[in-house]
Amino acid sequence: MDMLLSGLPKHVSDEESLARFLNSSALFKKADGQIKPAAFMHRNEETSVFRQDTIGEESLWNIGEEIIPEGRRIHGIALIQAAGVRLAGLDVVAKEPPPKHANIVGWVAGSTTINKARNKELAILLAQGAELKRKP
Amino acid sequence: MFIQSAPVGTSLVTGLVLLAGPCSATSDPGQTTHQARTSIIRHAEQSRALFGEKGDLISEIFELAEECSVENWDGYDSAPISAQSFQTACDFIRLLPDGIPLPEISSEPDGSISLDWMPSRYRTFSLSIGTSDQFAYAWVDGSDRGHAVARFDFQTIPERILQGIKLFA
Repeated sequence: MDMLLSGLPKHVSDEESLARFLNSSALFKKADGQIKPAAFMHRNEETSVFRQDTIGEESLWNIGEEIIPEGRRIHGIALIQAAGVRLAGLDVVAKEPPPKHANIVGWVAGSTTINKARNKELAILLAQGAELKRKP
Repeated sequence: MFIQSAPVGTSLVTGLVLLAGPCSATSDPGQTTHQARTSIIRHAEQSRALFGEKGDLISEIFELAEECSVENWDGYDSAPISAQSFQTACDFIRLLPDGIPLPEISSEPDGSISLDWMPSRYRTFSLSIGTSDQFAYAWVDGSDRGHAVARFDFQTIPERILQGIKLFA
């Protein structure tokens, strides 16, 4: 099995849990914690996530604090299983560095409005399959 | 895409100037910023007074635009919300018929504003408002799902979008 420098296998298995850092409180409903589709939308056909299973909760929050711009904070984490990503017709591929980083890929390419609409549909599916972990 | 973090020290000023658009005619940057800030705050206050709950939502959009006013505001290489997106979103919300529940709002990585009706976990109608008059929208309602594009003429809510919203309201 191909291994990465982080020690994780190169292939992201269906059972793995993926963490998407929510850098705005507007990316989830405050009342019931539903994740909004925008949390999974992308700018360059890749949605950045971290492979959560081997990361302790405290370390996970620390990773988030490292990637966020100075002066901002992480408001929550959307957790989704890799199987759920693939069920939506997308895929997850490891992309290191940084360690344990991966991208959700397979989005419809191109910047036309109809392609964006298609990607919104996929983002809704991801959002509906995700669980919110609020900042302690 | 993973982007290393960058400082955002000028986010508020930059955002206000961007949102104010071409209304500031002075060449003095400090005065421009002051005028932009005054204009936007006045705009938000007027909206709240004139449009009730819609005014509150417009104020929320203003705060969101302020929060997302610089490149890479989130560390994921996201674009800032533009003045045009802000204005179009406000126009759209003012045109929503009375009795329609107001949406949740969020910012998208391309600088668009997303209006989301999410009455339950498995029912979502999501509409993107960006810099053009073409709106991308999509919905998932259990096993029923789809996506489409509609043109906004700034006079009325496109009928297909209105029907969609009503199904999820």
